[in-house]
Amino acid sequence: MRDVIVVGGGLAGLVAALRLRRAGLHTTLVHMGRGGLQLGQGTIDVLGYRPSLVAHPLTELGEFCALEERRGGPTHPYNLLGVEPVRVGVGFLRELVGEAMAGDIETNVLLPTALGGLRPTTLYPASMAAGTVSLDPSDPGALHDGSRVVVVGIEQLKDFSCQLVAQNLATIELPGGGRLETRSASVSFPGRGTEADSNAVAIARALDRPERRRDFVAALGRLARRGETIAVPNVLGLTDETFTAIADGLGRPVFEIPLPPPGVAGMRLTDRLTDLARAYRVEMILGSRVIGAETGLGRIRSLRLGTAGHETDLEARYVLLAPGGFESGAIELDSYGRLHEPALGLPLAVPDAELLNDSWAGEQPIFRTGVATDCTMRVVEPATGEPVHENLYAAGGFLAGAQRWDEKSGEGIALASAVRAADSIIEQLKES
Amino acid sequence: MSTTAAERGLQNDGQPSESFSVWNHLKKASPRLNNNPNSYEAQQLNRLSLDQCVKCTICETQCPVTRVTEMFAGPKFVGPQAERFRNGESVDHTLDYCSSCGICTLNCPQGVKIAELNSMARAVMKQGHMPLRDRLITQTSLEGRVLTPVAPLANWALQRKPLRVAVEKVIGVHRDAPMPVAQSQSIRGWLRHREGPMARRPGQPDRGPVVFFTGCAGTYFEVETSKKTIEVLEHLGYTVIVPRQGCCGLASQSNGLFDQARSSVVKLAGDLAKGGRHVPVVTSSGSCAGMVKHEAREIMGVEDRTVTDIGARMRETSEFLLALADAGELPTDFERIEMTIPYHAPCQLKGQGMGMPAIRLMELVPGITVVESGENCCGIAGTYGLKKEKYEVAQAVGRPLFDKFKESGAELGACDTETCRWQIRAGTGMDIVHPIHVIHAAYGLSDIHSPQV
Amino acid sequence: MADLTVDVVVIGGGATGAGVARDVAMRGLSVALVDRADLAQGTTARYHGLLHSGGRYVVSDPESARECAEENRIVTRIHANAVEQTGGLFVVTPDDSEEYADGFLAAAASAQVPAEEITVAQALAREPRLNPGIKRAFAVLDGTVDGWAMVRGAAESARAYGAHILPYHEVTAIHRDGDRVVGVTVRDVKAGADKRITCRFVMNAAGPWAGRVAALAGCEDVDVVPGRGIMIAMNHRLVNTVINRCIKPADGDILVPVHTVAIIGTTDVKAADPDKLPIPRAEVQQMLDAGEALVPGFRRARAVHAWAGARPLVKDTRVSASDTRHMSRGMSVLDHASRDGLAGMLTITGGKLTTYRLMAERIVDIMCEQMGEDRPCRTADEPVPAAEGAPTYTVTHRLADREKDRRDDQIICECELMSKSMFLDLLEEDPSATLDDLRRRLRLGMGPCQGGFCSTRAAGLMCAAGARSSVQATDELRGFLKHRWIGLWPILAGGQLRQAALDEWIARGTLDIDHAPGQTDPIEPYPVGTEIDERDRARARAVIGGQEVPA
Repeated sequence: MRDVIVVGGGLAGLVAALRLRRAGLHTTLVHMGRGGLQLGQGTIDVLGYRPSLVAHPLTELGEFCALEERRGGPTHPYNLLGVEPVRVGVGFLRELVGEAMAGDIETNVLLPTALGGLRPTTLYPASMAAGTVSLDPSDPGALHDGSRVVVVGIEQLKDFSCQLVAQNLATIELPGGGRLETRSASVSFPGRGTEADSNAVAIARALDRPERRRDFVAALGRLARRGETIAVPNVLGLTDETFTAIADGLGRPVFEIPLPPPGVAGMRLTDRLTDLARAYRVEMILGSRVIGAETGLGRIRSLRLGTAGHETDLEARYVLLAPGGFESGAIELDSYGRLHEPALGLPLAVPDAELLNDSWAGEQPIFRTGVATDCTMRVVEPATGEPVHENLYAAGGFLAGAQRWDEKSGEGIALASAVRAADSIIEQLKES
Repeated sequence: MSTTAAERGLQNDGQPSESFSVWNHLKKASPRLNNNPNSYEAQQLNRLSLDQCVKCTICETQCPVTRVTEMFAGPKFVGPQAERFRNGESVDHTLDYCSSCGICTLNCPQGVKIAELNSMARAVMKQGHMPLRDRLITQTSLEGRVLTPVAPLANWALQRKPLRVAVEKVIGVHRDAPMPVAQSQSIRGWLRHREGPMARRPGQPDRGPVVFFTGCAGTYFEVETSKKTIEVLEHLGYTVIVPRQGCCGLASQSNGLFDQARSSVVKLAGDLAKGGRHVPVVTSSGSCAGMVKHEAREIMGVEDRTVTDIGARMRETSEFLLALADAGELPTDFERIEMTIPYHAPCQLKGQGMGMPAIRLMELVPGITVVESGENCCGIAGTYGLKKEKYEVAQAVGRPLFDKFKESGAELGACDTETCRWQIRAGTGMDIVHPIHVIHAAYGLSDIHSPQV
Repeated sequence: MADLTVDVVVIGGGATGAGVARDVAMRGLSVALVDRADLAQGTTARYHGLLHSGGRYVVSDPESARECAEENRIVTRIHANAVEQTGGLFVVTPDDSEEYADGFLAAAASAQVPAEEITVAQALAREPRLNPGIKRAFAVLDGTVDGWAMVRGAAESARAYGAHILPYHEVTAIHRDGDRVVGVTVRDVKAGADKRITCRFVMNAAGPWAGRVAALAGCEDVDVVPGRGIMIAMNHRLVNTVINRCIKPADGDILVPVHTVAIIGTTDVKAADPDKLPIPRAEVQQMLDAGEALVPGFRRARAVHAWAGARPLVKDTRVSASDTRHMSRGMSVLDHASRDGLAGMLTITGGKLTTYRLMAERIVDIMCEQMGEDRPCRTADEPVPAAEGAPTYTVTHRLADREKDRRDDQIICECELMSKSMFLDLLEEDPSATLDDLRRRLRLGMGPCQGGFCSTRAAGLMCAAGARSSVQATDELRGFLKHRWIGLWPILAGGQLRQAALDEWIARGTLDIDHAPGQTDPIEPYPVGTEIDERDRARARAVIGGQEVPA
């Protein structure tokens, strides 16, 4: 009988499966579709706002949790986990991907956005390092007062306006004082053939090819001036080697700015983690929805998958759910305004407020809906705190209590909870 | 467009005229499709699923055809996006580049039936414009019956460049398109002429009957694969029943010949049902399995009870054997085979949502390491890569896979479906076999290093 | 203060006002059309898009039915580009009695409305999503119309005849010299400057706001009661024919395919203030149930947007009975000369969009009579410029267009297939256009993603084109998403909630829009129908008064 079924192919699911597999457990990862890493920006957000800007995510976590405690409603995952699991989770990711992610878990940096703002994050791909603005007074950071940046757009890429980014960036008062000096420019670089409309992935794939990359580097080299850092949109290859080749070819600082989906940096991370899962022999089942479970004696015996033609019952000792939140359809609101969790019918922790309100400028309470867990990430009844099933755990966006996008906490929660849940399972299997 | 009074159905005094029919006028002003190849059931299933699309672009990033050519607008574009702009008719022709590989649907986190929407729209688009070639190449069973008696000659002829060039010009099958190798003896011939079933393992009790679904390729071209599947099943104690059976209609379906495809799959289900009720149906034709399990229903709306029943009992060979292994019922006293085998899981196998059972199955054999390709599609997509206007696209799609296989330096590679094997063989020069060949050899029934067909 | 002198000022840029302006201009008089916001932002574009066959009124108001049938043909011809000839069906659902249906054909014949009974099988073959339990079905010549495109078309025609079309010009005063109207003062909302327009006549076509406008001229007690109705657009065309329930007109008895969506409507509740039109939960549920009766499975389909519009209903005891002789049905005309002793102003309100041209003809006839001008109406004779030589609208046309130009022109709004050049051409024509102004003309952000992907691209283009500074473009983006939210939060469920989650992930997560340059909650240039307005009005006033905008 397999040891664990992990449901969900996003950051939490992949990392949990890798953690479990590394401990020698027979692990199956079931996912309905490709995970959401490529819908985000490919960085690791631990905590960005509380709601004031966070410079030291681990140090300031306590204050954030105190605020969350006062707010009431479903408990925030960080309140359940505390600092240590965050450290462990992020550390594990670092182990898995090595130098692919730069940054210091103790101190956030600011990175330029595709709107020309500056946004906090904790770990980031090496390809974004030259764009970091420091939140540590003792560290000048890559960009600081007086830094000159040329924001280069690609004509064929409609998701990035170099003028918008360059002009907005220049208006920002930097944390260390002063401003950036920016200008905009653009190059023509169709992803395929002579098309006018290329998405970021098409351009990234083209840059993975040396002959096309050469042209791109030459074009950038021609338009950059001395002492300028080059900012480009997130297109610098689907392999990590592409960025290195481009940076070496340019011989000057260059960084990429995250875009709306498709997120190329997120795709790189997904590919890396999926390659590891394949190498570790995590059994991956893509394309079937979890449609139910067989339970008995307080445990889940098997998960039912909607495989083609006939349903399949997968038996396992433990189940770890990391299917995401509303964005994946893992939690649904029907037309009558009723919330439910469609796969297993789990009870949901729901904020005690009007779930949706008319104010676009504020947060919408509904997004704090999710499953409740105890601090080991075992799924519990929100009202009583009792485990729903002895062997059922959860992680990531599926958890209640967080506003991941506003707080900039999604990846931190995913990593901390995934590793915590996996470790809980490993402990229990080792004991038995 | 201004209309005369008469056209508006009025007499000169503004009164509706006697002969004017509101209903006829309505039908003319806002026509519906004549001879809609799509059934209401399929349309509803798929059109409803377009509501799930949140434009996340994941399908576009995985689509193998989008990766290699700008001629294709992408699965999101021609599927859930364009469908909102269709009223039955298909005005967008880049749709033709969709290979129906199904990688989009497979990767969609929201459950949008993208490939199915595309297939339906393409069937509409091809109505009345069906190339003769597409009618010919979908006659897979007929091809087999015709070529088998003259196999050596046929094989020789299919290698001759001038003939292939002529075929390309006249019919539109690319001169370099991978062709199946005709066999002198079909599986039926082999079954008739062999002395008896393969002996059971010593001490192996009777496991009861199992129906074997050969598939057209398994009947006429990939006969070795069928033989080995039957032999392994018999070795494991099964009584293998091979009813007279026709074509599942997959090739017809992919080419938009829905009527033909529907009647084929219904007839096939009836054929296989003759093997007995509640009897498992095993096949080494993975894409045909997919047709019966779900594609016939999801693309063409086939709601036939027998098809559903056979589909529920259908198992691909690796799926079947791995389930036995997980239940502790598969003997694993395999011979050691030291080999690293590059493996590619075909799109239509992945699309059945059961993962890649062949990997774990083959690795039950001591010494075997399987290296899964990590690639989406080999490019052939059934009959797509045969077509002269699609051949280059298909080759570009498969190139990264071919490169990986070649770089492995392995003696042979594995892949579960026949047209994919032909494509990869042609693209790499390597022997590519169905995973059952490995199991067959691991049970000591053959030598893994001897020539494979 | 800039000066403009015209014969007629038309207040209100909806169907009525645009129709009047076109008619006046085609009769050779000079005219200025003013609206405090964009054209067709009042009642006209906030309805379900039905171009009546008249079938709806054959029993309750045969005269109105006859007018609709007649005008339907004319509008289809002169506004071909904005009209889709979907046809319509009247169906008796399992829950309806057949009583109404029994009299339907006879009533239609006597009202000269073309109608024909068809079999249920024929109806279901044409519209497979229809409730299979329907008992009877009738075919009629309903069509659907894009209200914005129609009003634009009329305005462009008027402009071709010399009219001044002035959206975002709010009337702040109507000037009288004794007992005559002599002109108006308008404030150019976008430029922030006042203009004085001299005229002989004022046509008050301000719909639900007509009372407020009349009061500016000192004509009190023009009591226009807004009749609020909500509508919900479903993500895809569940039907391709207009579906009417064959009963006495009731709430939620019409399902209308317009462009890429299907719209269910509507309700009818008296509202106190046309600038505050909520979309109550109970009414949303009512509309979903109404949809379910016509199309089983409606609730599982995706609701993509909702809105509220207000019908203007005049309750004026002073209107003289004899006035109704020349009127189009449902239309009210207030002759301020006889009513208030003020010459040179008429208020026109009510009516249906289908008969807008006829209403305009009637009231311009009265105006000419009062002005002593003998000029015949020609509006039925000539298509508007956009409709010249154009076929009627088909849902496939944008797909065909993009097929042709996809390799050369980027598609900015992928959901609605709006290309970059479509956007930039309009922006060049009117650099002060907001993203919403452009949306109304191009359907930007009106598809499933509701601006989640396309609005950022569009804001970027505004900046790149120099039409906005980067900070202004960022605020445009915020304003656009904020306005989209008004019509989203009341109906968010199922697939649209998933979309909203992804859109939030992008906007707040990746783009961090809350901390980007500009104002987190930008000022509204005009009321947008929710309670937020009060705060905005205060801030807008503060800005115009030269004060600092509070953070």
